[in-house]
Amino acid sequence: MEYLLHILILIGIYVILAVSLNLIVGYSGLLSIAHASFYGVGAYVAALLALKLHSPFLANIICAIILSGLLGAIVGIPSLRIRDDYFAIATFAFQVITFSVMNNWVSFTGGPMGLPGIPRPAIFGWKITTHYDFLIVILVLCIIILWISHKIVTSPFGRVLKAVREDEIFAQAMGKNVASYKVLIFVIGAGMASVAGVMYAYYISFIDPTSFTIMESILIISIVIIGGAGNIWGSVLGAAVLVILPEALRFLGMPSSIAANMRQIIYGALLVIFMLFRPQGFIGEYTFRK
Amino acid sequence: MLAQVLLNGLIAGSTYALIGISFGLIYMPTRFFHFAHGVVYAAGAYGTLAAISWLNLPLSIAVLVGVGTSTVIGLTIECTVYRALRRRSASSLVFLLTSLGLYIVLQNSISLFFGDYIQSIRIGAVEEGIDILGARITPAQILIVSMSLALTVAVTILLKRTKMGRAIRAVANDAELADISGINRDKVFFRTFAIGSALAGVAGILVAFDSDFCPTMGINALMMGVVAVIIGGVGSIHGIALGALLIGMAQQFGVWKIGSQWQNAIAFVILLIFLLFRPQGFLGKKVKKVTV
Repeated sequence: MEYLLHILILIGIYVILAVSLNLIVGYSGLLSIAHASFYGVGAYVAALLALKLHSPFLANIICAIILSGLLGAIVGIPSLRIRDDYFAIATFAFQVITFSVMNNWVSFTGGPMGLPGIPRPAIFGWKITTHYDFLIVILVLCIIILWISHKIVTSPFGRVLKAVREDEIFAQAMGKNVASYKVLIFVIGAGMASVAGVMYAYYISFIDPTSFTIMESILIISIVIIGGAGNIWGSVLGAAVLVILPEALRFLGMPSSIAANMRQIIYGALLVIFMLFRPQGFIGEYTFRK
Repeated sequence: MLAQVLLNGLIAGSTYALIGISFGLIYMPTRFFHFAHGVVYAAGAYGTLAAISWLNLPLSIAVLVGVGTSTVIGLTIECTVYRALRRRSASSLVFLLTSLGLYIVLQNSISLFFGDYIQSIRIGAVEEGIDILGARITPAQILIVSMSLALTVAVTILLKRTKMGRAIRAVANDAELADISGINRDKVFFRTFAIGSALAGVAGILVAFDSDFCPTMGINALMMGVVAVIIGGVGSIHGIALGALLIGMAQQFGVWKIGSQWQNAIAFVILLIFLLFRPQGFLGKKVKKVTV
């Protein structure tokens, strides 16, 4: 039972990551390979605040969202001047730099040793300790984020994002300030990703830089694409499929040393197969064609 | 100390130039980020390792096996996956995503076959080093520096003086116009992937001669190569070599002044600066055209 709850919690975390990245990649057409760094920023902010200042859970979530959003703006404002694959490379660079900071600023982030012993959170006196409690909190957060995302993509703001994705120059010609729309959605996505990081840090109660590498970023991209870029429910589906599928390896009796590699191979192969034969994913609408 | 820092910068720059040139050659006509090139590079080292330790072949033949492995992998990717994508006129983002997927599959395959731990095919003892003006350099490093110089010249000649080089430049310049002039695009891509992948294999093997390696050796090296290509300017081979030298020097000065763990961060900060203020690199022509 514990195991089943654990899987559901992981799915919840990846739903948040995938939906927030989908806003950036699927709806706005900006391929960001830096999503794991915002995920990591959320986790580190929450862990450091909880460990050093003993501040409450809700305050930490808000701090993480604000800091991650700010960082998103700092990266987004200059990077969004460059287009398409150069933007992808710039975010890749940012991902490498954040990993480098997490890994090397030992006195602050604990370096490769990570930050152990993150205390159990509490909301207004309700102590979140069991798997059940965590699942409830994550479900609530998922619903909030899905609701906000749904509101965004069905609003006029969301329509402009899609217009930018389909034809940037046309959107500009319609008098839309394309750059500010792009930066805004990038900041929103970064803020949302940090929520997943906060939950991850509290749930596992230990974080280290290896959870927030470029591979993690690519995994989140795979979820978005396989589920379907440009469709929020696609990301929910993608997260469920890509979290559950590698778990099946465990039941096939594959030794854990091989399972880690096989898991990555599955993600990578699925990404290639989908790009070749079904770039819109299961239920998406965007195929990365301009 | 300064002499050693400069020499280390030259060595690091040379290793980046090797992978940078091989990547840049492929990037020129294809215009997408072929991440799987990182595995093609690692395959050179692992192919050589397999030939030495499994087949007990002598070093010279093992090196050929390594280069062959890289070439075969690069060409297989081009002929099966990339060609299929091109038929569907996929955008460069689709290519980029696909090659990220390929990279993950292939790198983990190497891990499955050889294990994740560190391997070695060093030539010569570790202590050995030749004294030049108070700085030390190993024979393997001399080989790296001289090979990167030789390849810079050779690839420049290939591009400027041969018929094939002209075809590559024509496709790079305007693929449609090249088609109309009767240049077989698939053939050009096939040849660039063959040469580029073989060069990546050579780079991987040379680096493996000098230091230990693990399956993830490719991604870091490739990223340094990409940084060199972008800051040097796409399409200019000596630009790439200069870009590589700039990163190598900056990193080694960083190692000297602030510590070795910030090398990646230094390279990528340089990349970000170039992307933002001079995306065409210091020797390249304007790269991004806005087409309606």
